[in-house]
This record gives sequence, C-alpha cells and structure tokens, in this order.
Amino acid sequence: MNPDTDKKLAVAAASGLAGALATVAVCGWQRFWINWILWFVFLLTIGLGCLFLVALEHVVGARWSVPLRRVPERLSSLALLVGPASLLALFSLGTLYPWTRPESLKDPAVSGKAVWLNTRFFSARVVGCLLLWAVAYWILVRGSVRQDRTGDPRFNLRARRFAPLFMIIFAITITVVAFDWISSLEPAWYSDVFGVYLFAGTFLAGLAATSLAVLYLKRIGRLSQVGPDHLYNLGGFLFAFTVFWCYIGFAQYLLMWYANMPEEVFWYKERLAGGWGPLLVGLAVVHFLVPFLILIPRAAKSDPRFLFWTAALMLLSHWLDLYWMIFPAAGRSPLPGWPELCFGLLFVSGALLFIRGLLRRGSDMPAGDPFLGEGLEFRL
Amino acid sequence: MNGKGSVLGIFANARLLVEAIPDIRGKATGRLEAYTPFPIHGIDRALGLRKSPVGGMVFLMGVVGALSGLLFELWANGVDYPILTAGKPYLSWEAFVPIMFEMTVLFACFTSGLGMLLLLNRLPLFRNPVLRSPAMALFTKDKFGLEVQLDERGPDAETVAALLRQSGAEAVERIEEAGPRAAASPEFLASVAGGIVLVCALAGLLTYWATKLFPVSVPMVHMLSQPRLDPERSDPFFRDGFGMRPPVAATVLRGSVPYLIASEEEAAVVQNPLPRTEAVLGRGRQLFTDHCAVCHGLLGNGIGTLTPAYGAKPANLVAQKIIDLRDGQIHYVVRMGKNAMPSYAADLDDDQRWAAVHYVRALQRALNAKDEDIAR
Repeated sequence: MNPDTDKKLAVAAASGLAGALATVAVCGWQRFWINWILWFVFLLTIGLGCLFLVALEHVVGARWSVPLRRVPERLSSLALLVGPASLLALFSLGTLYPWTRPESLKDPAVSGKAVWLNTRFFSARVVGCLLLWAVAYWILVRGSVRQDRTGDPRFNLRARRFAPLFMIIFAITITVVAFDWISSLEPAWYSDVFGVYLFAGTFLAGLAATSLAVLYLKRIGRLSQVGPDHLYNLGGFLFAFTVFWCYIGFAQYLLMWYANMPEEVFWYKERLAGGWGPLLVGLAVVHFLVPFLILIPRAAKSDPRFLFWTAALMLLSHWLDLYWMIFPAAGRSPLPGWPELCFGLLFVSGALLFIRGLLRRGSDMPAGDPFLGEGLEFRL
Repeated sequence: MNGKGSVLGIFANARLLVEAIPDIRGKATGRLEAYTPFPIHGIDRALGLRKSPVGGMVFLMGVVGALSGLLFELWANGVDYPILTAGKPYLSWEAFVPIMFEMTVLFACFTSGLGMLLLLNRLPLFRNPVLRSPAMALFTKDKFGLEVQLDERGPDAETVAALLRQSGAEAVERIEEAGPRAAASPEFLASVAGGIVLVCALAGLLTYWATKLFPVSVPMVHMLSQPRLDPERSDPFFRDGFGMRPPVAATVLRGSVPYLIASEEEAAVVQNPLPRTEAVLGRGRQLFTDHCAVCHGLLGNGIGTLTPAYGAKPANLVAQKIIDLRDGQIHYVVRMGKNAMPSYAADLDDDQRWAAVHYVRALQRALNAKDEDIAR
C-alpha cells in the first residue's frame, strides 16, 4: 500500500474537517448535525452489516466464508469507530429532533411516544447499543484475531454459542438505530417495518464493503487463494439482498399508500416532493434494478470487475437511501451544497484511512481457524 | 441419444473419479455422466457440462409473467370491470405490483420445474438403461460411477472400458442401448393418467366426507362475523345509535353535480340538455315504466295500479295543466316532490330525469294527437 495515498487521504480528511467546521459558522448547527447524522449512520451501518456477516457465518456454520472472514471482521470495527461520533451526535437532539421541544408535545402522536422519546432514555439507548456492539466485537472479532496466535478451536465453539444471541441483539439494536436516529427526526411518523428496511440496507452495505475490500486485497496480490467460487457466493448474497431491500421498501410504501392515513403518508409526501421523488425513482433503479439485472448471470457473480462495480453501486445507493430518508426531515432539497461535499470528504477519506490502517495489521485470513483449509477448498 | 449404449466405470472414491474425468474427456467423444452418493463441488465444471439453458428460460418466462400480470390488471380494472378501491385511481401501478411479483415467481417456478423435467431431462423416458445396473445401488452408498456414452465417432466399448480401468476404475460394466420400451407406452401413460384421476377423486371425496362427519373447524365466515356497520340497522358504535351516517356537511357525492335550483320558478328557465333521440326516449320510457307508471299510469293519465289502494289522486300528466309546464319545472318536481309525491332524487339522477321528461312530452303529444301528427 502506497503511503503517499495515506498522506493525500489525511489532507483530504483535514480539509473536509475544516469545511465541516466552517458549516457551523456559515450555515448554522442544523446543517452541520443533519450531515453528521447521515454520515455516522452510514459508516455505522457498514460496520454493523459486517459484524452481522461475521455472526451469520458462526450461526449457520458456514465454511466457504472462513477465508474471507477477516475482511468483515476488520471492517466491523467501523461500528466502534463511529461510537464517539454517535455520542457527539447526542448534542444534535435539541437542534434536529422535534420531540425534545416542549411545544411538540401538543401533538398527541408525539406526546404518546414520550416514554420512548426523551433525552435521558435516548442517550441510555445510544450508550447501551454501543456497549452491546463492543461486547459482540470483543467476542467475535477479538477472539478470532487471538486465535491467529493460539489456534485454539474453543473460539469456534464460543462464537457458535454467542452468535445466535447476537442475532437477537442485532435485531433489536438495528431497530433502535432506525427508530431513534432516523425515524424520530419526524416523531409523529411511525412504520413497523422501518427497522427491517434499515437492516436490509445495512446488510447490503456490509456485503458491498466486504466485496470491495476483498477485491481490493486480491488486486494488490493478497487473498490470492480466494477464488471465483468464493466471489460467486458474495455476488449471490448481494443479488438476494438487493431483492430483499426492494421488497421491504415497497411493502412499507404500498401499505401506507393504500391506507392513506395522514399520520403516515406525510413522510412519503415530503420524500416525493420536489427533487426527492425523482431521487426515489433513481434509487429504485440503482439500488435494485441495475444490480438485479447485472447479477442475474452466473458468470457475473464471480467476475471481479462486475462484482466490484456492482458492490460500489450498492454502497453508493445505500448512502443515497439514507440521504433520502434523513435529509428531507431538515426540509432540504436533494441538491447538495458545499457543506455536504466537505462532510463527504471528511468521512469518506477518514474511513478509507482507517480501513487502510486496519488492512496493514495482522493476517488477511483467520490463520488459526481449524476450518480454514475446508473453506479454501470450497468449490461450487 | 445413446446410439450404442454406454460403459459404466465404478470408482472407489471421489478423488479417483474426479481425477479420471479429464483423461476420459480427452479420449472419448460421447457424453459423460457421473453418479455419486453426495454432491461433489466442481464436478459439473470437470464434466464439461454445457451452460444450462434453464436460467434463460426462467428469465424470459419471468418477464412474460410480470407483463401478463400487468396487462391483465390494466384490462380488468381499467377496461372490463373497474372497481374503485379506497378512492385510488383505477390504474394504480402500486396496486398491481404484488400481482406482478406473484405472476413473475409463478411463471419462473413452473418454467424451471417443468422445463427442467420435461424439456431438459426428457421425462417421458421412464427407464434409463443405466438404472438397471446393479452398481446403481452402490452409488447411493460408497461407490462413484462414471458413465461414458458411446457414439459413432468415438472409440468402441472395449477401448473405453480399458480407458476407464487405466484411469483407476475398480470395475467396468457395459450398459446396453435402451430398448423400445424405454419410452412410455400408451397403456402406461393411460394407466398413469387414470391413476391420477382416481387419486384426485378419492382425495376430494374423502375431504368432503371428513368435513361432513367431523366438523372440526367451521367454514370461513369471517366476512359475516367481522365488526361492521349495516345499512338501516342500529349500532352502538356511534353515540346516536345509528349505523348509517348522514353525508358529511359541504361534501358532494362522487360523480354527482350539486343541484342549485331553489324553486319551481327558477327551474322553469332551465332547458332540457338531452337531445330528443330514439335512444333517449327509449331510456325515458324504461325509467317512466319503472318509477312513475305505478302511480301516474303507463299512459301518464293518472290511472296507475297503485291508485285505488293509495286513495290519493296522482296528477294526470297528459292534462293541459302539465302540458303548459316547462321542461325544467317537471324536472324540478321529480327531484323535489310535490304534494303527496315524494322526491325521486335518490332513484333518478339528473340525466335520467331529463330523459323521463322527454318521454312525458311524447306521451302528452301521443294522447292529444292531431291529424297533422300522422305521418303521410
């Protein structure tokens, strides 16, 4: 890896940070915090998606993914990296979240949720989720890294026991993230399936980031033992979950469209007005239709080039999805201004810097895992 | 397919089988088929199986399914039988998507299942000769088989058998060509079809008797037993105890035009908007017969079937007094009612009343006919 690139990334991140701080002075706190929420939720979902992928392998006892597992394991630390960012974001509650203001309690749709939506419980949930993720990270990822040295097979048994529990933790915490950070920007709105919708995007983002990192490592000559059959499975996962995302997203829309209840449809009306409507149509195209059609042929799923661009598209469309969910709450049009670009610069180059640092340390595969050989031999 | 039958090599383990394949493929020209007790990853690539056409078929039929679902719904709800649901437009793509999705899945599944069985696996071939080999039972336990089809261009059976032995087969067996009985005979197909019909009939009858004799669950009556408001019935749901609601103030019934005429005098200036065509008069006659004739009589002369029982004397519509009324006034009276006559606003809409007015005019002229009315 070229250290010059790191320097460039550091410069980019620093200038992004300067721009982000300038946003406060020029555009005010609201613009700053809405960008902050968008970007930290984006990175958080990538990290959580990767952690879910790791746990999924242990739950189902998958062997094919053992040689790849170190990649999502490393990337899952993104979820912890943005931990401080989510704690900082607690300062945004007064600016961004209407339920913190007493006058919003006049609306029975908001005051009825006061048990859940109050600053103290909200902060407790944020901290609690972080702790749970840290515990999961410690057990699943640190244990795996330690196994590189010890080769102790008891790690696999421990992970297999813990992973099902993590599935429950994950289901609850990802719903909390969806309800708290995104949905409560407009506290009168509610949707039962919103947590599942965010989960679909989260898992796709984790898969896409994993695929990109695997392909990057393969291109620079590492992970060379990972063959087209392993890539095929990643492609198959992406293919399946892009359908799942669209299914859930449309299910949520269809029910609200049919019922046409004012307390539900206003959320969609905001997100179909102005430029957001065309953006949603574009989202359906880039998040579902294009990857779906690209990944149909068997060869495309294991072709590094197709897989790379599809995964990059998935990551971009997951960001667009979050943009479409979060930004209309601040009454903004979809056209980004310079603050959005600065935040993009800050978080993207910061995350890349962090990931490159992760990829430098340790081995690329779980060298101590007793199933590694079996995983390497995997053929379709 | 198998011009001269085939040769079956029996291998002791999967590795020997997989390693033998490239050698055999290089020397024999016929199709290869492997029989193994468990799936061996990568064997389809080693056997050089051509890309399955199932994927393309499924994709095509999936698209056909989606399109046929869409077209059917466009036709059904847009043209043939438009049903208004929840005030949505008749052609709402959102409502069509679930059906399109289901149709896509249905068409795709049937295509992959039936296409695989009938088209690609040639299902009517009921007896593959290799199945008669005693080695077949071993392939479900601990042996691995490689069948090499013989063809005109390739080496003969002895050469292939030697080749298989060389490559590590522990035993070799000659499989004879399929006889004419391999394909299903008409008697066999008839007995299969008869069996299916018999089983279906038996299953249906058994289900019927079982539900009759042991009514474990009642029939689905959820539509009847759900909480709902019935017309013209009291209901405790609303505070006033009525199930039916009056129209919401300041709203207009869908499809209706507000009637803004306040008096008969005002109505007198309104012209009949309908043309005096045969179709309109026919419609007016039908409406008059259905709604008016029971009191006013079929001829409009005030002698209807209900008159003796009713006691009151309905207006004679062909009298000079009514002839002198303007069209708009008659229209107004039908809508608002007059003396003992009730309003017909709920039964006849604007256009229907105008058509009835035309017919009343026709009756008046017919019953007061002059010489010049007779066509010469």
